[in-house]
Amino acid sequence: MSTLTISHLRKTYGPYTAVNDLSFEVPEGCVFGLLGPNGAGKTTTFKCMLDLAQASSGSVLFNGHPLAPAAFEKIAYVPERSVLYDWMTVGEHVEMQRRAFASFDVKAVAELLAQFGIDQRKKARALSKGMRTATMVALAIARRADLLILDEPTSGLDPINQRHVLNLIINESARGATVIFSSHQIGQVERAAERIAVLDRGNLALEGSVDDLKAGRKIVEAIFPSESFSLDGIASDARIARLDRSGRIVRLLVTADANEFVTRLEALGGAGVRIVDLNLEDIFLYAVSPHDATADVVEGAAK
Amino acid sequence: MPVVLTVDPRSGVPIYLQVIEQVKRSVALGILAAGEQLPTVKQLALDLTINPNTVAKAYRELERDGVIETSPGRGSFVKSNGVADTTKSAARDVARDAFDAAIREAKSIGLGIADVRTLVAESISRWFTEEL
Repeated sequence: MSTLTISHLRKTYGPYTAVNDLSFEVPEGCVFGLLGPNGAGKTTTFKCMLDLAQASSGSVLFNGHPLAPAAFEKIAYVPERSVLYDWMTVGEHVEMQRRAFASFDVKAVAELLAQFGIDQRKKARALSKGMRTATMVALAIARRADLLILDEPTSGLDPINQRHVLNLIINESARGATVIFSSHQIGQVERAAERIAVLDRGNLALEGSVDDLKAGRKIVEAIFPSESFSLDGIASDARIARLDRSGRIVRLLVTADANEFVTRLEALGGAGVRIVDLNLEDIFLYAVSPHDATADVVEGAAK
Repeated sequence: MPVVLTVDPRSGVPIYLQVIEQVKRSVALGILAAGEQLPTVKQLALDLTINPNTVAKAYRELERDGVIETSPGRGSFVKSNGVADTTKSAARDVARDAFDAAIREAKSIGLGIADVRTLVAESISRWFTEEL
């Protein structure tokens, strides 16, 4: 059992609200992706989940109970920044984990580190950023935890090792563990995650299953004979999440049956009406405020 | 024989629907034979690097559609009774989706029913020459 329930979580730092009234649930065995521009509150949320930051209000329940020290045996956490000790070798980190956690699988960690091409005799300070991430991921996977909280677990890794980390996440889920992870690489979240939450400036902008979000959100586009077309009865429809009108073209982001809007736009004289599928990146960009989204995607692509 | 499936996670089409479509297509084309075993949920998830629950959801729907059957502990298999039916209905599903997309496209660029009927008739006579 490893269900995570977050209710009305709020975290403020002085006048700054990092996380505002956040509620969602991560079901047992689920791979859950946490998305959001930089500064959206992802890392703060992770820290509050683990009691590394004291929530200002709200609660995080693990299997229905507040986090107790005994639960830490079953939770593995990979923080965004390296927590490896520079002066210690990778092997010494392995030994430290082995002593700390009864379920730690020494054989598995040796295999994982070898797969990443990491020499256990190396000091942490000699590892690249990506190899530090890989080391922390390997240590976390070898814990055989019930719940894995991974803050940017593919950060700094090359595409081959990124794919390897995704498959490790999938493998953890297949053996029944619950995984919650964040990434700026939306394509990775789209592959590995069953459910996602999008944070925007500390607020929950979107939450749900990736399949449902894709199935339930379509763009319906139409071209009208002149620029002075009327959208009577459509513009005010609550199921239109967004309406972009430019010259003779109208694009609707609909959260309902797209076919209905095709019929209605055609009835109003729209031609060339078509339905456009949205991928997770499109859905993400529509969910967050435009300025943040642009900045984030540029930075995410550069990583 | 290993099953060759590919998915495009960046597509707007939900991944489980892509898996369903590809398994049906493989059955229709005979790439997957009656009684043949499908990869386990975990194996297919790892092969495609997609979520295991997504694969499980696709398998559940394929089972409901009568394309595969799952026996606990043994795995999932292409249904052996009524292979012809399964193959035919799988082929129909694949073709229906293709027709739907083509006709929606034709309509959206302004063609009427008469034009579409003519095009479909032309298409049929192009591909079924020996039966006409």
